[in-house]
Amino acid sequence: MIGLPHYLLVSAALFCLGVLGVLTRRNAVNVLMGIELILNSANLNLVAFSRYGSGNLQGQMFAIFVIVIAAAEAAVALAIVLTLYRLRRTPNLDQADILRG
Amino acid sequence: MPEVLKSLPRFLPEIALTAALLLVVLVDATGIKARNALSRLLTALGLAAALALSLADHGVPSETWSGMLVADPMGSFFKALLVGASLVVALAFTFRNSAELHGLGQGEFHALLLAVTLSNLLLASANDLAMLYLALEMVSITSYVMVAYFKGDRMSNEASLKYVLFGAVSTGAMVYGMSLLYGLTGSTSLPTIRAFLSEGLTDQNRFAVYLIALLIFAGFGFKTAAVPFHFWCPDVYQGAPTPVTAFLSVAPKAAGFSIMLRFFFGGLSSHGATPWDLSGLIDWTWLLMLISVLTMTVGNVAALTQTNMKRLLAYSSIAHAGYVMMGVVALSENGARALMIYLLAYVVMNLGAFLVVTLVHKQDGTFDLRDYAGLSKRAPGLTFAMAIFLFSLMGIPPLVGFMGKFYVFAAVIERGPSYWAYGTIGAVNAAIGAYYYARVLKTMIIDEPHVEKPAFRLPTADLAWIAALAAANILPLLFWSRVEAWARASLSIYAGL
Amino acid sequence: MHFTASDGVFLAFAAITVGSAVVVTLARSLIYSAFALLFTFFGVAGLYLLLGADFIAASQLLIYVGGILVLLLFGVMLTHKLYDLDLKSEVTQFAPAAIVAAGLFVVLAVLGFRTTWKIGPGRAPSATTDEIGHLFMGQYLLPFEAASVLLLVALIGAAMIVRRKKEA
Repeated sequence: MIGLPHYLLVSAALFCLGVLGVLTRRNAVNVLMGIELILNSANLNLVAFSRYGSGNLQGQMFAIFVIVIAAAEAAVALAIVLTLYRLRRTPNLDQADILRG
Repeated sequence: MPEVLKSLPRFLPEIALTAALLLVVLVDATGIKARNALSRLLTALGLAAALALSLADHGVPSETWSGMLVADPMGSFFKALLVGASLVVALAFTFRNSAELHGLGQGEFHALLLAVTLSNLLLASANDLAMLYLALEMVSITSYVMVAYFKGDRMSNEASLKYVLFGAVSTGAMVYGMSLLYGLTGSTSLPTIRAFLSEGLTDQNRFAVYLIALLIFAGFGFKTAAVPFHFWCPDVYQGAPTPVTAFLSVAPKAAGFSIMLRFFFGGLSSHGATPWDLSGLIDWTWLLMLISVLTMTVGNVAALTQTNMKRLLAYSSIAHAGYVMMGVVALSENGARALMIYLLAYVVMNLGAFLVVTLVHKQDGTFDLRDYAGLSKRAPGLTFAMAIFLFSLMGIPPLVGFMGKFYVFAAVIERGPSYWAYGTIGAVNAAIGAYYYARVLKTMIIDEPHVEKPAFRLPTADLAWIAALAAANILPLLFWSRVEAWARASLSIYAGL
Repeated sequence: MHFTASDGVFLAFAAITVGSAVVVTLARSLIYSAFALLFTFFGVAGLYLLLGADFIAASQLLIYVGGILVLLLFGVMLTHKLYDLDLKSEVTQFAPAAIVAAGLFVVLAVLGFRTTWKIGPGRAPSATTDEIGHLFMGQYLLPFEAASVLLLVALIGAAMIVRRKKEA
């Protein structure tokens, strides 16, 4: 029988894959994809707890706000990546290296 | 509807800020000639109104907006502090006296400043995990945009890129932790979480709470630039326009500490005799202590070798976050009061130091410490003011920075002998800090300049602000009992009792 | 212990979600990652439906697939030459990062199975849209309004950042 722990397992896998993507990718757009995986994993947790847990909708409401914030964050982050590309002709993070020390 | 009518009177500062924000956006969109002056005026008026309204709130601690926010004296204290910091930034750091911002559009800048301030106030009074996360992300996203304010500047762009990616990952970890906390307690409301946790935990669940707290701390650590979530901080402070750096180094940090206080005291502690009584439930102290020690040590040691003033002040602000955390570590009423007093002092001394850096950059076009040589001869008044700010940052009496340090160390030491080693590490750190602040002073006063430069000519408005900030570092000592009484009266926190 | 149809559906959606997330993380080509992300979002939306969260499933499709994914694809296209099909995205420090991620997964999995989560009455799958609408206009009115301010600022900010600097 499928229950709460199985959903938590899927979300844990999504979270860890997101972390892995963030840690290993050099391309800024790819790092953003990893961040989206992390946010999806949190949302899956929230909805699963809402279904099996106390039965209130607080988790689902929280999840909706997470989705809205993800959209705003993605818009701003991509605007910054596009400017990086315009200035350096690269979307790669290791070429963003004037600030050091 | 009755809930809205009940909440509105406690929500006036936020309403003033929102109205000013929308007006600034509208005025800027009209494209009229006077829009820059008008947007600055509207911003100043909105912030001044919000400051007055925050100070005027004397109601009983209660939930507002159906439990999304709380209105309590601690919230009002932080609101006044946060709005005050924004007001100083809006008035003292003008587009005229910043070589970096000169000639850029002002409307967007002021709209963003108002938006961050509004978000800071929401963060300082959040009472529900959803609201907390939303407010924290509002602060972050508006800050990302402010850092990227120079269009076409590589450093500004790179700084904002690092900021946005680091911030998104930290807050992602935080929201994952919050989702687990919801699963554990069945609620997103902080008082309900507190009530649930105070019923006791099994050993398995204790492990879960530790992990959840670590994940959530990633978000708070990011906002307050605590180690190991500080990596963005030096780059962002160096790359951002200096007025934005000055703002980021005080306001979001203070908001982060306010929510850290509210979360650890109001959400993750047991019911005791008072809201500040943290007997029993979970042993946070060693974890927070470790983070605090790492934060101040990393900040101070890295600051020793910096030659760029913005980077130096960035590392110094990391170190100060470590001292402020001593107030959280003490987990006592006196600790919370010490934290508030430290933040008050930190706002005036740090903004003052950044204002001097801005003015030197306007005159000489440099942030390099080596170019500060001989400044005392060219601008004796400015050097004197900088000396006050730096002595205050060191914690030398009789300046407000000393009072801040005095209260946090006292709060830690009175907790008993097991805290004394921690207090000693803090004292050693303060000594390391004194060394690099003194190095700046030595450069300004003793070192010979490489080339002769003309004397400083500062506009009266800038001189007045420098003098006002310097006075703010000294004069509060004259009526210290009232400052302390304000902090003491602000110690009331709403915790669902 | 018997295997029901809904268990099969769960396994299918879970496999789609995790499988495509692996591709997102490991694919060498940016385009592959972006399209695999599409399947991840679909898989998660399917899981939401299984959990009875119809409104969130719809929002997931509209906002994530229709908004964020399209934005990311624009990001891919605008930061590379359009006809260059060989969009490589390099990977650095893979081994230590993989160890960290695997360790984290073990910790979170143990946590998921061993912790006594609050299992309450639960919520039988039923239409949620009506209730969510009322919550937005009632208990969640303030965050709802605050989110609109956030979107306004993000809109102004993104436009401001991308707009070219005026030649002085």
